[in-house]
Amino acid sequence: MKNRDTISKTKFMEELRRYEKGSVTRRHFLGVTGLGAATAVMGAAMPGLRAGPAFAQDIGDRVVLATWPNYHDTANFDAFTDATGAFVQVNVFGSNEEMLAKLQAGGSGWDVFVPTNYTITTYVSEDLIEPLDVSKLPNYDPSAFDPRFSDAGTVDGTLYAVPKNWGTTGFAVNTAHDGGNALTTWKDFFDRTKDDYSGRTMVHDYQLTTIGNALKYFGYSFNSVDENELADAEKLLIEVKPHLFAISSDYQPAMRSGDAWLTMCWTGDGKQMNSDMPEISYVLGAEGGEIWSDYYAIPKGAPHSDAAYALINHMLDPQVNAREVLAHGYPVADANTNALLPDEIKNDPILYPAQELLDALEFGAAATLTDPNRAELLARFKSA
Amino acid sequence: MTQRERNWLLVAPAGAWFLVMLVLPLSVVFIFSFGERGAAGGYVPAFTFEQYANLPARLTAFKNTMILAPLGTLAAMLIAYPLAYQLAVRTDPKWKNILLVLVIVPFWTSILIRSYAWIFLLGGRGIPALLGTFGIEGVRLIYTPFAVLIGIVYGYLPLMVFPIYVALDRLDNRLLEASSDLGARPLATFFKVTLPLSIPGVATGCMLVFILLMGEFLIPALLGGGKVFFVGNALVDLFLQSRNWAFGSAVAFTLIVIMLVTVTIYMRLIARLQTGRDDVSVM
Amino acid sequence: MRAYAICVYLFLYTPIAIIAVFSFNAGRHASQLQGFSMQWYGRALKNPFVMEALETSLIVALISATLASILGTLAAVGLQGIRGPARAIFDAIIYVAVMIPGIVIGIATLIALVTVFGVLNPWLAAIWPEGATPPALSMGMGSLIAAHTMFTMALVIIIVRARLGTLEQALGEASADLYATPFGTFRQVTLPLIAPAVLAGFLLSFTFSFDDFIIAFFVAGSETTLPIYVFSSIRRGVTPEINAIGTMVMLASLILLIAAQLILRRGDRK
Repeated sequence: MKNRDTISKTKFMEELRRYEKGSVTRRHFLGVTGLGAATAVMGAAMPGLRAGPAFAQDIGDRVVLATWPNYHDTANFDAFTDATGAFVQVNVFGSNEEMLAKLQAGGSGWDVFVPTNYTITTYVSEDLIEPLDVSKLPNYDPSAFDPRFSDAGTVDGTLYAVPKNWGTTGFAVNTAHDGGNALTTWKDFFDRTKDDYSGRTMVHDYQLTTIGNALKYFGYSFNSVDENELADAEKLLIEVKPHLFAISSDYQPAMRSGDAWLTMCWTGDGKQMNSDMPEISYVLGAEGGEIWSDYYAIPKGAPHSDAAYALINHMLDPQVNAREVLAHGYPVADANTNALLPDEIKNDPILYPAQELLDALEFGAAATLTDPNRAELLARFKSA
Repeated sequence: MTQRERNWLLVAPAGAWFLVMLVLPLSVVFIFSFGERGAAGGYVPAFTFEQYANLPARLTAFKNTMILAPLGTLAAMLIAYPLAYQLAVRTDPKWKNILLVLVIVPFWTSILIRSYAWIFLLGGRGIPALLGTFGIEGVRLIYTPFAVLIGIVYGYLPLMVFPIYVALDRLDNRLLEASSDLGARPLATFFKVTLPLSIPGVATGCMLVFILLMGEFLIPALLGGGKVFFVGNALVDLFLQSRNWAFGSAVAFTLIVIMLVTVTIYMRLIARLQTGRDDVSVM
Repeated sequence: MRAYAICVYLFLYTPIAIIAVFSFNAGRHASQLQGFSMQWYGRALKNPFVMEALETSLIVALISATLASILGTLAAVGLQGIRGPARAIFDAIIYVAVMIPGIVIGIATLIALVTVFGVLNPWLAAIWPEGATPPALSMGMGSLIAAHTMFTMALVIIIVRARLGTLEQALGEASADLYATPFGTFRQVTLPLIAPAVLAGFLLSFTFSFDDFIIAFFVAGSETTLPIYVFSSIRRGVTPEINAIGTMVMLASLILLIAAQLILRRGDRK
């Protein structure tokens, strides 16, 4: 038991890769990594998570999670299922707009969703999000979180969302094809797309980042809703469009297969690809771009509210959260989780970029989500 | 109860259903198309032609659809016809049924899954890699209009083979024999006898496929990489991303009008081509 | 010519073969073969979301195909005796129903029902007795079945009417002359003659409903049908579990088809 608990991080990652490739079973994986034991301990410590008859609080047999691509460690869901009997159904989305549209149309059936910082005020004003009952989240320790990445969860003094991960939006580039001439700026990103990366570049199917980064090309604010500045961004995007490989927020498969060489990219995807293929590097545009924080939240009318709280609480457990970070490569703002992470993660320049690069970044602004011009601009770009 | 009342009673449930689930929704689309987008998306009542004035913003989507739908229909027809001919005219009756069933079976796997297989086949590790081993480098297929074309031909081929097969199968073999007995060469027999008699089947198949292609969303979404945009993709985008119900309604209504006009003209045309013949059945 | 046919069959079956081959992949990824395994079949069958999506799809397809066949057949029979403007309007509606793309039906139904529910729900809450929870109308299985029934009913009417058109009017008149009641005529003369068309309509409706993604995508609310499950899995990055589901569905259809063929053949021999 002792040596299981102190399994090295390298060993853990090896086991994780093996598990993901399917060459070891889940039982083996849980056993070797101590995850099974952790689950059992957790189940005993927290009545809400325990399926046993002694604390029989039935949370149902399912919980539906709406989240982003490549953003979780499936083993943590399996552990949740083992502990509570509730299966986790994961629905993946490519943009906050899509999540909002689905919730606005009603009857999404979601129990937990993962909104980004700048969208939460809109969910509150549209009455689509449930205030959180902190007493049902014993693992949530507000004092441990860096307020920069947890503030947006509270609107007008009410807690609506708890922090999941934070990160940056830069680009991933396959350096095998850069001819020794590294890309460092958003100007490089778009100019090289028209040149030696033609036909190999992907941009997000997401107004905030695709328009925002095109705005950075001109040195405008990432969040601009100024008509003239947006017109410049649109012109650039439409010029670049014939040179794009695809417009999609799920770019890992194409980057890994070598079909695409350059893509707008979030921290964790950059880390995941860089770990497996060192020739793919993650770059923050020198002009700036986005820094963001994602949250767990419960939509109004969630059909399995108890399971929703149990799942969020499970994911906030520092042990679980640390394993998430190791798997997906997004940093967390939780000091308790960070204490469990190995130094090579905490010093990783992809997760924690240099201060001068971070200083240039902006949080997304709520106005971009509701601004009709930005929404229409992206739609025009896609249909152009 | 009179005969008349009885007839109405029989038709009433279907009529009510159409009223609630077709006439009402289409009316709502029509009304919403004169409205405006709400602040956070959705619809706000108004009376404006702004949405229709904004239609040119989706011109490319309409153009793509109007080019690729007929092109896909034509390609499917050209591929399906020889196969249907082979099955109906040249195949031993013993094998006919089984071979026909084999055409339909792929149709029973979700179009989603089949298109996904094409993502792999057309992607860098699929056909391009195969071509690479023959020395043909740098071929890119996935996320191009050509990939979408392959996807739609593949997806709807069975729908085209079937009606053509039925038309050719009805063809009396004695007609063909008579034709050749009268000294007509095979090619002449084909153009003078077989082809004209199979036109109704071709017309039906083309219309079925064309209708489905005009509203296509999935295949361009999966094989077009967000770059090959049909009206269907523009619609999904308007309702699920930019949440502009008013403009979306205008685009939807325009699509309906375009379809009704083209299909009606098409049916008239076919009917005229076939005047004087009594076996025309387009629908 | 034969070589051509073989090429077309290759075109049709290569993707299917790829799906089937990868369903036996031992690895987690759908693009790299890593040895043989049946594990994904076990996983798919044990995954409650897959089984439930399958159940939802089957229920929706069965109910909507049944409703469409019954109501559609009745309407087709009733329409035989209706002339004039009413008939023209009904014909136009059927024409529009089959002509309109599924995506437009989906979107139109969604915004119409969301709007209607938005008006009805507060009203229901107001008239509901104090203390009891008023029902809240929302998108779900009901709206999905209603939408599928609408579309497939139009198909059934077209198919059955084509069959009725080939029947001789005289047949019915002869039957009436022999003092058969209208219902008796329908049951003993018309129904047996149109039965194959009704069955064909039912099967077509079932297949359509079971396979439909785009209408369900908009009107199913929180319900997950099999195609919706597959779509969201594809976005998540496909594991061979999806290949296993696809292979099983195809095999099941094939078996049903062969069984139907055998039964029909036996019927013919009698």
